Amino acid sequence: MRTVHISSGDVQRKWFVVDLEGKTLGRAAARIALVLRGKHKPTFTPNADTGDFVIVVNADKFALTGKKRDTKVYRHHTGYMGGLKTASVSETAVRHPGQALTLAIAGMLPKNTLGKNMIKKLKVYATPEHPHAAQQPETLDLDKV
Amino acid sequence: MARIKGGVRTHARHKKILKAARGHRGARHRLFRRANTSVMKAGQYAYVGRRLKKRDMRSLWIERINAASRQLGVTYSKLIGWLTKSGMELDRRVLADMALNAPTDFAKVVDTARRLAGASA
Repeated sequence: MRTVHISSGDVQRKWFVVDLEGKTLGRAAARIALVLRGKHKPTFTPNADTGDFVIVVNADKFALTGKKRDTKVYRHHTGYMGGLKTASVSETAVRHPGQALTLAIAGMLPKNTLGKNMIKKLKVYATPEHPHAAQQPETLDLDKV
Repeated sequence: MARIKGGVRTHARHKKILKAARGHRGARHRLFRRANTSVMKAGQYAYVGRRLKKRDMRSLWIERINAASRQLGVTYSKLIGWLTKSGMELDRRVLADMALNAPTDFAKVVDTARRLAGASA
């Protein structure tokens, strides 16, 4: 008996929808990352993308503990002198809706080409609606993943 | 006595090494000296790889069993506890294969293990 390996092309992918309102950012991100990676299915293969699609609505209405909405800062450097840009969680919600969640999840996925393709299966919307009705997404219960 | 030169043996040896270095990058599959080191190092990697393979496969089976058992509401840790208690001697390779190819049988195994281990939930 040989252990079966699944290749990315053979995966049956489902669509899930998550309402992030009131969910803690990191905890929700950890569960969503598992689904995107496919670790919730017995077909999991580390060198292939076996994950499902996840649609997130109300992506900026997540909960954070403490004062992190104002004190947690996202930094990046443009490469020019004095080019360190900073933005708090509340500022990113205005300028780049959904970015906080995308960054949190991307940090939990593999840092390689496979991980970069996995994050593309994540569809983030700050609104309560999403345009993926045609994919007939199922509701994803974050506590059961 | 006739003198025997080494050219034929040397050529055969070089050919053997260059053949083994097929698929290596750049000069490492073209030039004998580079190919020679490359092939020696490849052998060392292969030796390590044959041992790592066993651990990697075991952790893959565990990940798959965990995913399948969590769908049935049991963590991997609990399931293995039950299997040990109930004396069922299915190894992780078989369990992982069942989880993937025979989900209903896997569910039966989980139920039986739960019953034999005397667990309530």
